[in-house]
Amino acid sequence: MPVTVILGLLLLPLLGVALAGPSATGEPATEHIRRTTRRWRWAGLTVGATVAAVAAGQDPLGRGVLLAAPLFGLCVLAGVVAGESRVVVRPAGAARQAALETRQVRHYLPRRPIRAVTAAAGALAVLLIATTAAGSADDLGRAGRSLAYDCGEFAGGSHGPWAGSFYSFPLALVVGLGVLIAALAMYRLVGRPRPQDPAGDLLRDDAERRRSAAAVTGACGVLVTIPLIGVSLFTASGLLSNPCRPAWWTATAWVLFLLIPAWTALLGWSAVAVLNPGPHADRPTPVPA
Amino acid sequence: MSAPTLRVDTQDPTPPYEQLRRQLADLIHTGALQPGDRLPPLRQLAGDLGLAVGTVARTYRELETAGLVRSRRGGGTRVADQAPASSADERRQALDRHAAAYLRQARLLGADQETALDAVRRAWPADE
Repeated sequence: MPVTVILGLLLLPLLGVALAGPSATGEPATEHIRRTTRRWRWAGLTVGATVAAVAAGQDPLGRGVLLAAPLFGLCVLAGVVAGESRVVVRPAGAARQAALETRQVRHYLPRRPIRAVTAAAGALAVLLIATTAAGSADDLGRAGRSLAYDCGEFAGGSHGPWAGSFYSFPLALVVGLGVLIAALAMYRLVGRPRPQDPAGDLLRDDAERRRSAAAVTGACGVLVTIPLIGVSLFTASGLLSNPCRPAWWTATAWVLFLLIPAWTALLGWSAVAVLNPGPHADRPTPVPA
Repeated sequence: MSAPTLRVDTQDPTPPYEQLRRQLADLIHTGALQPGDRLPPLRQLAGDLGLAVGTVARTYRELETAGLVRSRRGGGTRVADQAPASSADERRQALDRHAAAYLRQARLLGADQETALDAVRRAWPADE
């Protein structure tokens, strides 16, 4: 509960800015966009690091540690949404213009990383469904916190902590919220109008949009991969702890172990993308209609 | 920007949907928009121009009625494969509209009739 309160208090200012109008500026349009989105991304990052640090120390049973990374990603995403909202300039004069082009989310997302993040999110969802279904109460009666096994009439036991409902429900809630905020961020950055130079000509700001999209992808990567690595490790060790485990439990545990380097590599890319989302040359510019 | 630009003047007596319809029809008839080219999504174009989505939707509806574009659910609005060619009368009307716009600009610059026509002659390629 304290984590929720802290998170709420820290996210409220960001969301308030997201709903407020754009900041006044006399800078060149694309430079203003770059600076404003970067500032808000870093504000989200700072808030996220604070929230993660506070969250990690909250729950002695490990839920705080589990939720720290997703909460960090959530705050970064909120920062991106706030930044994109600050740079929107609604057309207001009598003479208005728009480029005849089709801007779509796929024009800005980094292709391979977003596929990897989607795969990681799918893997996390499958893993959590399985561990939640297999979870049972621990020795103090806390539901979904251990893995019980039965090796015959007189032998049995349990292993914990296990990523049952005790951990998976709050994790799914935060990750789901993160996905929603990521969708909002992409909607904002694709939908905002092109900026204009002082002469009234439309300017290309695709590099700025790609930076924000890379930050969104990176934040989603952090949001998903850290819990995925943690849940994979605990699940694999839980499966191997059963002395009378079937062969497929052993195989599953090793598959989970073997995938960890891949998730770690994705986490590395995501962390870099959050801290320094550079332009991605492999993406085409929006196709003129 | 290299993409064609759509312009709307909210003080023009012509309704914005009609301004957009004319520009898009001209772009299709002149070949600037090819069969199969996708038009901007309704919400994107409405947001970029600060217009209501319904205004842009009406433009697209009128173009679809004229057989110039086709809309598909989930596939967006695209230029029709066999868009009907503009009639001589429509071409003349379009030319009149552009001439009137040029005339307004020339007057704003203080040019008289001969100066404005001279500018057109200079701009016209010599080999045509």
